[in-house]
Amino acid sequence: MRLLLAEDDRALVDTLKKDLQSAGYAVDVAGNGIDAEYLGNEMIYDVAVLDLGLPQRSGIEVLKNWRSKANRLPVIVLTARNAWHERVDGFKAGADDYLGKPFHTEELLARISALLHRSSQQPGGQLHAAGLSLDEEQQTVTTEDGQIHKLTGIEFRLLRYFLLHAGKVLTKSRLTEHVYDFDSEKDSNVIEVYVRRLRQKVGNDRIETRRGQGYVFRDSC
Amino acid sequence: MQSIQSKLGTGLLLSLIIAFSALWLLVSFNLQFLAEEYIASRLKHDAETLLSSVSFDADDNLMIDATRVDTIYNQPFSGHYYTITTKTGAMRSRSLWDEELISANVNTGQQLKTLQEGPEQQPLLLVSAGYKKQGQSLTITVAEDLNPINKNIDQFQYRFAAIAFGLLLILVFLQVMILRNSLKPLIKTHGELKSLQQGQLDKLGGNSPAELRPLINELNHLLTIMAQRLRRSRDALSDLAHAIKKPLTVIQQVTAKSDLPKGARATLMKQSDDIYQLTDRILKKARLAGPSHTGALFSFADDLPSLIKTLDMMYASKSVQFTANITDNITCPVDREDMLELLGNLLDNAYKWATTKITLSVRINSEIHILIEDDGPGADPEKMNELSKRGVRLDEKIQGHGFGLAIAADIVSDYHGSLSFKQSPELGGFKTELTLPLHQVV
Repeated sequence: MRLLLAEDDRALVDTLKKDLQSAGYAVDVAGNGIDAEYLGNEMIYDVAVLDLGLPQRSGIEVLKNWRSKANRLPVIVLTARNAWHERVDGFKAGADDYLGKPFHTEELLARISALLHRSSQQPGGQLHAAGLSLDEEQQTVTTEDGQIHKLTGIEFRLLRYFLLHAGKVLTKSRLTEHVYDFDSEKDSNVIEVYVRRLRQKVGNDRIETRRGQGYVFRDSC
Repeated sequence: MQSIQSKLGTGLLLSLIIAFSALWLLVSFNLQFLAEEYIASRLKHDAETLLSSVSFDADDNLMIDATRVDTIYNQPFSGHYYTITTKTGAMRSRSLWDEELISANVNTGQQLKTLQEGPEQQPLLLVSAGYKKQGQSLTITVAEDLNPINKNIDQFQYRFAAIAFGLLLILVFLQVMILRNSLKPLIKTHGELKSLQQGQLDKLGGNSPAELRPLINELNHLLTIMAQRLRRSRDALSDLAHAIKKPLTVIQQVTAKSDLPKGARATLMKQSDDIYQLTDRILKKARLAGPSHTGALFSFADDLPSLIKTLDMMYASKSVQFTANITDNITCPVDREDMLELLGNLLDNAYKWATTKITLSVRINSEIHILIEDDGPGADPEKMNELSKRGVRLDEKIQGHGFGLAIAADIVSDYHGSLSFKQSPELGGFKTELTLPLHQVV
């Protein structure tokens, strides 16, 4: 899952980015409104955490511009301006969730996860698909026979993306975009390696290779 | 205070009545006077004609040349009479029949005008004049019945009164029209004040007469200044909240991850949490507009659905069914931001605790009554009493029904309203009863 963090406070970004990364998100940071709007329109993000008090262009304006371009990127508004009229205005501008500062990281993570589930029409709680269940906190996967497998960071990100987009053809470049952030070394061949490792953990036939197209995570076997 | 229109109207009506009555009296009096003068001068001419037709014979007896006397003096009770008195005797006109005129003796060269009742109750005007003819002094008294002329005068007075009354009515009608017309700007301003109160206007119209313009300009100026001040202080407070909360967030994030001893970490967390909640509450209280009409007003039709949508999003993990029971087209003359903050906090509490259902009903008469009920677990009655206490102290927190309700209580007390919490008899959960008095301009 690739996440856009639009926040101008360096100190907050530093701690938040680490927390988000360890929760299995590829995080890109935009320090001002103009950058945030540009990045959000790249269509490579699964979710955005948007501060309303951004310099150069306010978060509300960024959000309105995204929505006016029919950009449906799920957005959690993060702001110190937590008066109710500001929340209402935020939702009117197209926010999907709202979190007032100061906040606990756990709450932000829970809200991001809930929003991702909602936007891919998955019920809340643990991610279940094809007999697998993914524990997002522990970053483990439980297979049908009750075996628990630990996942590495990239494996977890990849499996979660598969689970949230089960049944769809996912190209290697799309998987790369949603699993890595800007700062990472990108090599789409590495995806093959990770898919192989995942297959070892969750079963070979769950991830189907479509030659020339990409991969499909099969919803049912 | 009495309205300007009825005050001016009464004054004008009274002065018109007085003017017309005085005119009527003056004209009537003068007409009577002129008529009498005219008759008197005619009678004097008759007296002189009579004088020329009388003569004394050798025995000093009075003789009259009947051919020279007007025939009207010969018809009985014709209304024209004369009496000629000398030292030796008197002579009466035939028209007097058996009646007599009481005539005073008037010295030669003098004249006397009197009124007296004649035959058949005729009001008579008498003119007596003293003459000397053939060395004899004689008094000729000529009288005329005033009835015919009085009748004419009465008729004239009646007609005059009727016309005057008609004119009075027309004038009053015209005055009312003129008054209405010239008071129109005031009535318009009155209506505008009403719309201003209901938030349909943010400024009074500039198209007003010169007399009202300074007042309206001044009011508009004040409105602008108040709106600007409110905006400015709200923006400043919002910035302040922002500025305080950003470092607080970092402090909390860093504290949570630090390797401080557990106790110290908990203390730091609690302290920063307290700072946040205190500043939040104080700042929210400071940014209230209160019962003035300077900003945008809350609309149940537009703002409530957005608020509910917001809450539905925030509590997306729950599926709460919200029902609003609101009479159509109610205007709510309360500042939009204040009302959103108030309802937001109360409904947030309801959403937090409800299992499936929340109802909201609004009634507006001289006050706004709002009832919010949920089907959550509620709270025990003792705690409810504690909650409904107004002006809960700043450091006081009621477990589970935290800060939101305290902020709501602050807003309600700012509006001199009342807020109470009960057990909902229908849904079984929390029941919040809210009353805000309305400030009426007109």
